[in-house]
Amino acid sequence: MSSPSVNPLREGIANRLAPEPCTLVIFGATGDLTHRKLIPALYNLAAEGALPPSVSIIGFARREKTSEQFRTELEEAARKFSRTPLDEELWKSFASSVHYHRSPFDDAEGYRTLAAEMDRLDKERGTAGNRLYYLAVAPDQFPVILDHLKASGLNRAAEGSWARVIVEKPFGKDLKTARALNGLVNEVFEERDTYRIDHYLGKETAQNIMVMRFANSIFESLWDSGHVSHVQITAAEPLGVEGRAGYYDTSGAMRDMVQNHLLQLLTLTAMEPPTSLGADAVRDEKVKVLRSLRPLRGDDVFRHVVRAQYAPGLINGQPVPGYREADGVPKDSVTETYVALQVNIDNWRWAGVPFFIRTAKRMPKGGTEIAVTFKSVPRVLFNSTGEGLDENVLVIRIQPDEGVSLRMSAKLPGSSLRIEPVKMDFHYGTSFGKATPEAYERLLLDAMAGDATLFARRDEVEEAWTFVDGIEEEWKTRKDDLAFYEAGSWGPAEAAELAARHGVTWRRL
Amino acid sequence: MSFVPGIAVPIGGIEKELGRLWEESGDDKTRASLINLAVYNEKEGSLQTNSAIVQGIAGEHAMRAILIEADPEAEGSSADSWINMHCYPRGSKGGAVCSEQISFRLGGLAARSLQSVVFSHLDSDLPLALWWQADFRTPVDGKLWRWVDRLLFDSRHWKDPAAQFAIVSEIAALPEARTVLCDLNWARGLPVRQALAGLFDSPSALPEIRRIRSLEITHAPGFRTTALLLAGWLADRLGWKLEKSGNSFLDPSGAPVALVLRESPGASIARLHVVSEGASFEVRRDPDSEQYVTSASGKAIPSSGRMVRAPREETREILLAELARGGRHPLYAKAIISLRDLW
Ligand SMILES: NC(=O)c1ccc[n+]([C@@H]2O[C@H](COP(=O)([O-])OP(=O)(O)OC[C@H]3O[C@@H](n4cnc5c(N)ncnc54)[C@H](OP(=O)(O)O)[C@@H]3O)[C@@H](O)[C@H]2O)c1
Repeated sequence: MSSPSVNPLREGIANRLAPEPCTLVIFGATGDLTHRKLIPALYNLAAEGALPPSVSIIGFARREKTSEQFRTELEEAARKFSRTPLDEELWKSFASSVHYHRSPFDDAEGYRTLAAEMDRLDKERGTAGNRLYYLAVAPDQFPVILDHLKASGLNRAAEGSWARVIVEKPFGKDLKTARALNGLVNEVFEERDTYRIDHYLGKETAQNIMVMRFANSIFESLWDSGHVSHVQITAAEPLGVEGRAGYYDTSGAMRDMVQNHLLQLLTLTAMEPPTSLGADAVRDEKVKVLRSLRPLRGDDVFRHVVRAQYAPGLINGQPVPGYREADGVPKDSVTETYVALQVNIDNWRWAGVPFFIRTAKRMPKGGTEIAVTFKSVPRVLFNSTGEGLDENVLVIRIQPDEGVSLRMSAKLPGSSLRIEPVKMDFHYGTSFGKATPEAYERLLLDAMAGDATLFARRDEVEEAWTFVDGIEEEWKTRKDDLAFYEAGSWGPAEAAELAARHGVTWRRL
Repeated sequence: MSFVPGIAVPIGGIEKELGRLWEESGDDKTRASLINLAVYNEKEGSLQTNSAIVQGIAGEHAMRAILIEADPEAEGSSADSWINMHCYPRGSKGGAVCSEQISFRLGGLAARSLQSVVFSHLDSDLPLALWWQADFRTPVDGKLWRWVDRLLFDSRHWKDPAAQFAIVSEIAALPEARTVLCDLNWARGLPVRQALAGLFDSPSALPEIRRIRSLEITHAPGFRTTALLLAGWLADRLGWKLEKSGNSFLDPSGAPVALVLRESPGASIARLHVVSEGASFEVRRDPDSEQYVTSASGKAIPSSGRMVRAPREETREILLAELARGGRHPLYAKAIISLRDLW
């Protein structure tokens, strides 16, 4: 009798593509990302039975330590960072599939022994040679790792198996480096085997944007320039640059947040309905949005973009130093910690609708949201008081307190006709008390299942850089446009003016 | 003193009294609801048990609960009603999220005209899940069932599973009905199905799935149907046909697969053991353990094992899992049908 190629018992167990058994190799396994995010996510998946039991995990890094020591360190981290309390027995069972492989990234011998170790695990666990390589390292380490994977043939999977790579952000620091990086990755792994993580896409509410838009007829029919007056996408945080100055000062808010997370949220908000929920169908539509972004060049940059840096101020009543006073930041740094942009999407659906994007550190409050403001009703019926009515605003909150709210006008009770805005509010946490899984859990399973929908494709990344590069280039020609805002304020006056030119005020979160 | 499920209110004034309860409860409380959950039971004391269950799940799945304790055989017609709220702290600002509960004790005619009681107290536009904690009776009352979105029941309590299943099938097939059948006994088996499925994910184990020769399930007293549903699921998935004896199946190649059910105190499903020509696969849960231990071994495959979290075996947990999962259960009916002759 012929052997089945698909496990018939998987059907109906979970509403998703089943993850396949594999060996997951984490490069940079002694690092922060592995301890804080990857291992807690893998532990929770294993404990819930979502991870195929025969998955093995190999941590690759250069420090001397035994697998036993490695597991003990990971246990401590998981105890601290796991979203569910650590259970001794479940941890032990999970940890038995975790191994440490010591080698510098640039040592060919380390890859030969890695190959031997993976073959041994394949035999021991009856797996067929599926490989998932996770580059949890700084991008300057990518070339050496990829070169060695290629030279040792580890990038090629055995017949009937797969070899995939997961790449962490940043995907380059401009179009040129991104292209070089993508070129490098794609020399070693095909694009369909390349998974670029943008953890914003793994968040429940980000996934919900598409459901909201395309599973509810009331929104989609209003989702265009005929009905929408403008859109604001905001990601604010009260934190400063603490501890990340080295990286941040060379990056700035535009590269750190806008190029990836915020433009991803913009694409999900503005895209056309995809022909299916397949990875490429969805990403085809997203990339079309990026291509339709009106490029900003020359003086337009200064008309459409405000960059600013936080000065000393108060957060929660406590004095905090300004950006230039932070450890590791040059005293004359012009790196932006705040950026506000007004962009246009030149396609049929969005012609004439301004999109505002804003991200900043040291804001009074943290939060990420998309606010769609609808056009006002004609001033015909309810204008006797002379005041305009508040527009309808639909807000999709990504974090914290994920949810959706709609502002509407309603009559105040009483015999006179007074109209006030009221808010209809849906909080995920209120209706669904259960904690939602971490973004990394979802994304790791997707990569094991071969579902790339929530990962950034090469052309998406490069289109986003093309747009951002235009602005960065122009910024290099001047310094005097850098504005300052007090830490703990909602940003500089220049940003308010930018919005005011379109008759818009920035939302207070 | 007998249990009182909240504030007694006249049946005609329930919505008004609920409104008043809200007004008095302060601004820091938010009403939330994802579904209407109506629970029907014919045993005395059920309002107390079901209030405790609702209280246990409302924090994770906000709802409007409608509890009914009915005595349809009683003389005349009687109806008492109570309202109540279950509140849970949410967020850092000291607010609370609350679910409403309406309870009824119905006798005689009132108990027999259930739809008038249930339908007049639903939160409009939210789905209706009806949890039927009694035997289903014929003839099927289309006026009631047609409006039920999810019909919850626990086949573990069925004394005549074949007859009961025939009735729920009839309900699901009512014209215009959109009822999804949700057997909590099927939900109860999900972790075991998932754990067993995981053992066949590895390519070396997968071929063994076509060479299974015996299936042995150890279940706690009272959980025979839970075990049968698991056997039925495997039979359907793997194309096994039950033999007349009821002790074995024939697989698609005509080879026999022995079926053994054992009863022993412990977890509802304490062990599921599958032996193939080249290997053996086990999912085990020790008494009082919160884990399933899965293992595979044999000459054809390398030994492997894993522990996975097992849900607590409380109705609350199973109900929550079922409510959170949603969707249809297309394999459920097939599992039942493939073991029809054993019920
Ligand atoms: N941390 C986060 O939460 C986070 C979030 C999003 C994205 N990311 C991205 O994820 C990547 C990794 O971040 P991270 O914070 O985990 O970095 P990290 O803490 O600095 O860890 C770097 C890891 O790489 C290893 N390593 C460095 N050079 C090596 C070499 N030559 N040979 C062998 N091993 C070497 C280190 O091993 P040793 O122990 O031997 O030094 C360490 O395990 C970065 O691209 C970052 O941007 C991180």
